[in-house]
Amino acid sequence: MKCLTHSSACRTAATAAVLLLGVALLPPNAGASGLGGRVQGTEAVTSANWGATASVTSMTFTTNTFQTSNVTNTGTVALVAESFVVTISKPVFGAPTFKVFRCAVPWVATKCSGGAGTQIGGTLAANSTTTVTSVLALAVGAVEYLQVEPATVFTSTTVMLSPRIAAPSQVRAAIHTNQ
Amino acid sequence: MTQSNDPEKKERRYGRIAVAGLLTTSVGLLAAAGVYAGLSATATGSEAVSSGTLNLTLSPDVGVGFSNFAAKMAPGDTDNVYVNLNNTGSLASAAGMTLSVTGAPSNALTNGSVAGEGLTVTATQCSVAWTLATGVCSGTTTPILATTQVSALNVGAALSNVPALVAATGQLAHVQVSLGLVGTETSVNGVAPASTIQGLSTTLTYTFTEQQRTGVATNQ
Repeated sequence: MKCLTHSSACRTAATAAVLLLGVALLPPNAGASGLGGRVQGTEAVTSANWGATASVTSMTFTTNTFQTSNVTNTGTVALVAESFVVTISKPVFGAPTFKVFRCAVPWVATKCSGGAGTQIGGTLAANSTTTVTSVLALAVGAVEYLQVEPATVFTSTTVMLSPRIAAPSQVRAAIHTNQ
Repeated sequence: MTQSNDPEKKERRYGRIAVAGLLTTSVGLLAAAGVYAGLSATATGSEAVSSGTLNLTLSPDVGVGFSNFAAKMAPGDTDNVYVNLNNTGSLASAAGMTLSVTGAPSNALTNGSVAGEGLTVTATQCSVAWTLATGVCSGTTTPILATTQVSALNVGAALSNVPALVAATGQLAHVQVSLGLVGTETSVNGVAPASTIQGLSTTLTYTFTEQQRTGVATNQ
């Protein structure tokens, strides 16, 4: 197509072409001042879970018979200690007391490997809430065996066991990796 | 040859002389003008120039550099990687290098949604290469980024002491980048809190950015 230089359309087209060429020749970062350098690195990471789960969390005592609960490390990181919030109801009659013992193996006929096990905390009174802590290393999936031993129970009394795992104090020692 | 004394003839002769003079002058002027139009004078000078480059490279210092942390990170754990930042361009960089860290996906590890918890980053420069086995710097250490929550690094954070960090051409910085996890939450009977940093995964992207030195005006 022949472009007549005196025509308005031709001048418009020529102007547009010049502008487009100018834009095309501009550097990509024409608005930025100077040069910039940038480097990147990536690192994938996954956080652990920490927690312990009790097989029995509520025990009702009407006699002085011992009861047990198995506490499993259901997290993905080893534990160095486990806490339990022990809540004891107020019986209608009497003032029972309770003790909590732990064992590394299942209780057999109220005995821990033939012994009494290790007491966690002191003697707990009725109508109280107490946190007791078991300083026992517990690998992932490992089980800690608890036994609650009542005394002077005459009427129904409920003991609630609630495992609590707090980080970082009850999680294994920190690991420092150099890679 | 006789000379006429006729005044009329004299005037005609003088007129012819004047016309001839004018013609001669015109031709001369035209010739001069022609010569002038044919000549030109040009002065040239040359100046060679090359543009500089600003190249920042990232490579392992010791170990594998940025890589995945294989284990599950517990609160208090740290994962140290050692990288070299090298200005391999021909231009020095300006002060003000920044580091940004972003996580994909964004979650409680990286976005600060659980107050006081999440991943942290610390960066330290060593005057010599780091010792991988111990994570110790046998030279002089210079902190360039205090422990900072990743959630605060989504936008670039200025690294301190940057003038000493790859500011000059060819200068190498040995940097330890330490990733940590802060966690203060308690799980109840195996259940994490509703807002938790536990059991989450993310891929962090560390971006170091530098700018060229300021422009130089030269008079020579």
